[in-house]
Formats: sequence, structure tokens, C-alpha cells
Amino acid sequence: MEVKTIVDECLELWRDPYPQMARLREEGERLVGVLCSYTPEEVLHAAGLTPVRLMGAMRSLTHADAHLQVYCCSLARTDLDMALAGELDFLEGAVFVQTCDTMMRLSDIWRRNTAFQYHGDLVLPIRMGEEVSLPFLVEEVRRFRRGVEEFTGQEIWDDALVESIHVYNRNRRLADRLYRARASNPTALDGLSAMSCLVAGFWMRREKHNELLHEILEGIEDSGEATGGEKVPLLVSGSVCTMPDLYELLLELGADVIDDDLCCGHRYFDAYVDESAPPDEALAKRMWERVNCPAKHQCIEDRFERLVRQVRDSGAKGVVFYLQSFCEPHLFDIPYLRQRLQDELEVPSLVLESELQSFSRGQLRTRLQAFIETISGV
Amino acid sequence: MSEEKRELTEEEKADRERRKIKSAGAMRELMTKYYIEAKGAEGTDRHIAWITSGAPVEPLIAFDVIPVYPENHGAMCGAAHMNVELCEVAEGRGFSRDLCSYARGDIGSAITKGGPIGGLPRPTFLVACNNICNTVFKWYEELARFFDVPLFIFDTPFVRGDLPPHIEDYSVRQMKEYISFLEKITGKEYDEPRFVEVAARSLFASALWKDVLACNEHRPAPMTCFDAFILMAPIVTLRGTQEVVDFYQALLDEMRQRIEEGIGILPSERYRILWDNIPIWYEMRNLGKLFMELETCLVADTYTSAWTFEGVDAERPLESMARIYTEVYLNINLERMAEKIESLAERYGVDGMIMHSNRSCKPYSLGQYDLAKEFTRRTGKPALIIEADHTDSRWYDRAQVEARIRDFVENLL
Ligand code: SF4
Ligand code: SF4
Repeated sequence: MEVKTIVDECLELWRDPYPQMARLREEGERLVGVLCSYTPEEVLHAAGLTPVRLMGAMRSLTHADAHLQVYCCSLARTDLDMALAGELDFLEGAVFVQTCDTMMRLSDIWRRNTAFQYHGDLVLPIRMGEEVSLPFLVEEVRRFRRGVEEFTGQEIWDDALVESIHVYNRNRRLADRLYRARASNPTALDGLSAMSCLVAGFWMRREKHNELLHEILEGIEDSGEATGGEKVPLLVSGSVCTMPDLYELLLELGADVIDDDLCCGHRYFDAYVDESAPPDEALAKRMWERVNCPAKHQCIEDRFERLVRQVRDSGAKGVVFYLQSFCEPHLFDIPYLRQRLQDELEVPSLVLESELQSFSRGQLRTRLQAFIETISGV
Repeated sequence: MSEEKRELTEEEKADRERRKIKSAGAMRELMTKYYIEAKGAEGTDRHIAWITSGAPVEPLIAFDVIPVYPENHGAMCGAAHMNVELCEVAEGRGFSRDLCSYARGDIGSAITKGGPIGGLPRPTFLVACNNICNTVFKWYEELARFFDVPLFIFDTPFVRGDLPPHIEDYSVRQMKEYISFLEKITGKEYDEPRFVEVAARSLFASALWKDVLACNEHRPAPMTCFDAFILMAPIVTLRGTQEVVDFYQALLDEMRQRIEEGIGILPSERYRILWDNIPIWYEMRNLGKLFMELETCLVADTYTSAWTFEGVDAERPLESMARIYTEVYLNINLERMAEKIESLAERYGVDGMIMHSNRSCKPYSLGQYDLAKEFTRRTGKPALIIEADHTDSRWYDRAQVEARIRDFVENLL
């Protein structure tokens, strides 16, 4: 298939993945919703289930307001709304990873008010990367695995799990290659296309996504039409981009996302699971040593240092912080990250808050335009 | 308004005097002394630690470190109507208005030294425990950057159902780590008998506090939650010291005396209400008046009882402390919370519940809609949810909240 055809299909998926999930269900896949990139998807995969990511949707709410206050993030609110409205009935259940206070309560609310057969909880330590928390996390992964086994009524064999780990590691390697290929040849694949190809994987079997990435890579690595991009290179940092609009608008406005620090992007595929270690331990270890989400205490690597490295390596001329309104973990980090980006690198930044219930493309465009103009000195 | 200004008759004055809680004075003295000592220690070689309200403070007391509680200070700033300006300082530095107003106010006060007592003394290190929320460790990370001092995080994973052994083990490991951290910072050695003594006093004070709160099971209630919100300051900030034990002993005696003499806190008590969430600190007076006028007593709440610890094993002090701190009210699932609410409702014989949906505090507030329904299902009593923020009054609509409370109370029974 042509690179362009694949990319277009991926982009369409990103725009509205829900019909695809329903289709997968019809094809016989057993779907489990995943709300956080810390979910050990390999465990679900090894149990014959298909993890699919829930990243909210642009919609006005009909049911969730009876359970969640307006001051919680729109990911939680719109996901719950869809579940309560029966629009996620193709799922067998969902996994809740306790990253923040909202997620921790959402899990209970979801469990109490929906009738899915499966409900998974994974409680993470906030002290990732410190010796003291690893045994806890390993045990938590085991507990999670037992929960999945109980649900399917079948034991997950270690060798099946190792195989799933292998599939996911391959996926991470391919995603990494995609990012590299894109960085070295920004005209062959723009940020929007790269991101589309990556997130599309959230809504298909991982093996299939591996094939897709492979095809794309062959396509662009052969294309050889490398010429320096004229677009203003930017880095996006935050949680998830539910919709492609941000990326689309940037392209329209003469900018492009050259790298990201998103949990549906670069943070998703960071670090590999050790395939030679016992699988539970290896899975825990990866979560524990991967790049931290701001909802975790930063003790592995200072977020700022990492951001600096990414900005330098990618040559980004500006940083767009894209986060959900009311998201405390991200909001707390913004002031110092922005300050230091400005003081130490003279890199300007912009903060955008996403509220899926009241999304306005026009407003987003205006703000992005002004930001790009300041960078390019227009 | 004009009614308020009316001169009280001699009789009314005497009655008011009789109903006043006398120990409040002793508490003010205790807290003033504490703050003077803490502030006086700034710049000396005594260690000062800023610590979250739910964190294990006993090790600090045992190591002679002065604990300082930004949340208690936040409540003070809120009650003094000074927290908004402190929040604005933080907002000016890029902190979103959607962050917890304790955190914003505290960051503002760290920058300007503002607030009723001229800010808190500079910490030499920080201790945060996420058993109350995950906000605190982000907030303390910011403090650690601001003051450039070490931060110890006591990580308490969320507990669903019974405390699983792997969480307990993790807590115990951290307790030990906490002790080593303190040894290193203070250069002193861990003294287990001392720790046990402090822990015992802490538990003893907390048992007394529990008894004090239980006095409100009596009708008429000898105090309201508004008093409890104020009288809890020592158990939050100074538990583990002898003064606190003495203070709560005296308070308990006073409460029992009141019960014996039939002295209620309100001139008349028709309805009894359970309160949920942190007080609306800047509105305590107005709400207090409103409830008095409605002859309604807030007899119990889910907040002050968070400092009533149970089940310590003197043989294994670190282990039991680790367990206690992990299973606090905000760190458990909704079903367990519902059980607590139900048992409070029963014990205190309440006619309904008012929940403060506090936009500053997600772990306390998300889930309230479900809890309210569950409360009514279990007890047959109504619940009201009001929207506010514990110290950011800009989110508060007094007329609307008061109207809703009036409506609610008028429809009781
Ligand atoms: S966006 Fe923020 S608040 Fe919402 S679930 Fe993610 S971490 Fe939690
Ligand atoms: S979020 Fe809630 S528990 Fe946490 S510091 Fe703020 S008020 Fe306290």
C-alpha cells in the first residue's frame, strides 16, 4: 500500500476510533479499554484480549455529570459518559491505572455504575525508579495478572506472556524507528502523519500495527526525497491528544511537530521490557524505569533535563504544552518548565488546555498562529 | 444585618457565655506558642520540616524536628480571608487557578512571606505523604525546588478493600527508610524507646480526640463541627507531644461536664447534620450563624475524624504506624467510605448530610455524587451537595449556597 493511503487511514482512525472498535468486536476480538499508558497491555494480549485505548471524545455530556463534578478532566468525564450512554458496549471492561486522584476515583465510579464483566485496577507507586517501590510494583503486576486470569478463566502461561512482550517490544522498536526516520527526513513524513501512524496502533491488534509500521518505514526510508523542512519545528508536551486538530492546525500554519513528550506519543514506547527476565518482574521493571509521567514523582530523571535534551536534539524552536484542564500533575509542572525553557534555552512555550466538551478549533488556531508568529519573528 | 447589631440582653449574654467552649482559649495559647517556637527556630540549628497533614509526624517528634503544616497554615490564611491574595501571587507565577488552593496559597506565602503570621519558617527539609491526595507530592516537589531542600516522600498506594500485604510491606520499608533519612539529616541515632513513647502519646491523644468527637453523639450536642474544625489543630500539628495529650484530656473533661449539665452548643437544636469534606474556611462565621438560626447542628463530619487512629501494636510500632497511615479515609475506595459515612450517621443520629464539593480537593470530592446516593439508600436520609472551595472564596456563591442550605433544612423531617 502507498504510504499516503496508510497514513490517511490512520488519520481517520485517530479522528474517530470508536466505529473501528465496534468493528473489531464484530470480528470476534475481545476488547478491553485502556486509559493510561502504564497499563501492562502485554498481560491482556497474552490472555487473548485486545487492549484498546480510550482517549475521550469531543462530545457534550449526557450522563457523566451525575457522577463527576465539572472540575475534573474531560478525559474522565467523556470516557465515563460514553460508557454510561452504552456507547462502549463493545468492551468487556476497562483497566484503571491509578496515576492521579481523578483516575483513582473514576475507577470506583465506573465499576459501580456500569455493567462490564471485567474491571481491572492497577495501583502504581509514585516513587518510580527507587529501590523501595519495585517489589511492590512487581506484586501489583502479579495481582493484575491474576485478575485477568480470573476473568478469562484461564491461566496466562509465562511463555505466552513472553511472546506478547516480544510483540510489544517489536512495536516499541518500530515506533522508535518511525520517530527517527521522521526526524532525519521531516519532509517524507510530517508530524501529523507520524503521530497518526503511532496512535492508530491503539485500535488494532499489535501484530497488525507492527506490519503497518513496517510498511510505512519501508515506504519512507526508500523515498529518499530528503530536503530540509521549511516548517517551524515544535515540540508538544503533555498527556494525550484526543484529536488530530492540533497537529493539523500546526501544519496549516507553517509549523510542524518534530518530537513530543506525550503519553500517546514518545512516552508510550519509551524503554523495553527485558525478555530474558521473569515476565512479571520485567513488566514491572519497565514501568518503573521508563520516562516518568508527571503524575509520578520524578526521581529517575528530572523532567526539565529530559525536555532540554529533546528540544536540543530535535531542534525544536518552541514548545507547546498540551494538557487537559484540571489535570493537576501536569499543571504543577508547567511554571518551572516554562520558566527554565525561557531562561536557559530561550525557547518560548505556549500552554493549551483541552476541554473536550467545549472544543473550539477557531480559538485554538488563533492562539497557535500568534505563537508561531512570535517564534518566526513575523 | 440590622438584627446582628441588636444589643444582646444580659440574659442572652450570660447564656452565650455559658455555652462557650472554655478550652478554646487553651488551644489558642498552645497554637500560638507552637508557632512562636517554630518561627523562632528559623535560622537556628534546629531542624524544621514542612509536612503534609496525613504524614507520619511521630518520627519527626522523636527526632526533635519541628513539624510545620502548610495545610494548617492554609486554613488559617483562609479563615483570615488572606488566602486569595496569596493564591494570586502563585497564579502570577503561572500556577493554574485549578490547582488546590492550599498549594497555591502556600507557594504564594513562601514567595512573599504573606499571611496572618508573616509566613512559615523556612524548612530544612520536607515530608509529603500522598495518603490524602496526589496533589501534595507535586506541591512539595515545587517547594523542594523553591527552597532547594531534600524531600522525603512516604508513598501510600490506594487501598481497595482490605490492606493487601504488598502495600503493607512497601509502607513498612518506607517507614524504615524514613527513619534512616532522619538519622542522616539530623545526625542523630534512631531511639526506639523514644519513638514508642511518642507514638503512644500520639495514639493516646488521638483516642482522646475520638472521645471528644463522640461526645457529640449526645443530644443536645456539646459542640458543632465548626468548633471541632478549630479544636483539631493540635491533633493535626502536635500529636506525639505531652501538651497535646493534656489539652485533649481537659477538652474531654469539659465536654463531659457539658453533657452532664445539659449544655448544648446551640441555644436550640432541632436538626442534626453530618458534614463531608474540608470546611469552607472563609465562611465559618457566616455558616455558623446560618445554622444557628436554622436550629441545626453539624454534629459530625468525615474530616476531623481522619485523625483518630486505631490499632497500634506497641511491639511493632513502625509496622502499625505504616498501616495506620496507609488506610486513612481519603485513601480507601468509595464502598469503604460509604460504610464510614453510614456508621457516623447512625452513631450521631443525623437527619441528613451536607457535602461540600470542594473544587480544590479531588480525592475528597470526586465520588460524592455517588456517595450521596449511597448515603440516602443506606440511611433513608437526604443529602445536599454544595459547591465551594476550601480557601479560594472566588469560587463561592454565598447567596446560592445559603439558599440551598435553607431549603434543605426546611425540608428535613
Ligand atoms: S489528564 Fe490528568 S487528571 Fe486526567 S486522568 Fe490524566 S493525569 Fe489524571
Ligand atoms: S488536594 Fe485535598 S487533600 Fe490534597 S492538599 Fe489539597 S485539600 Fe489537602
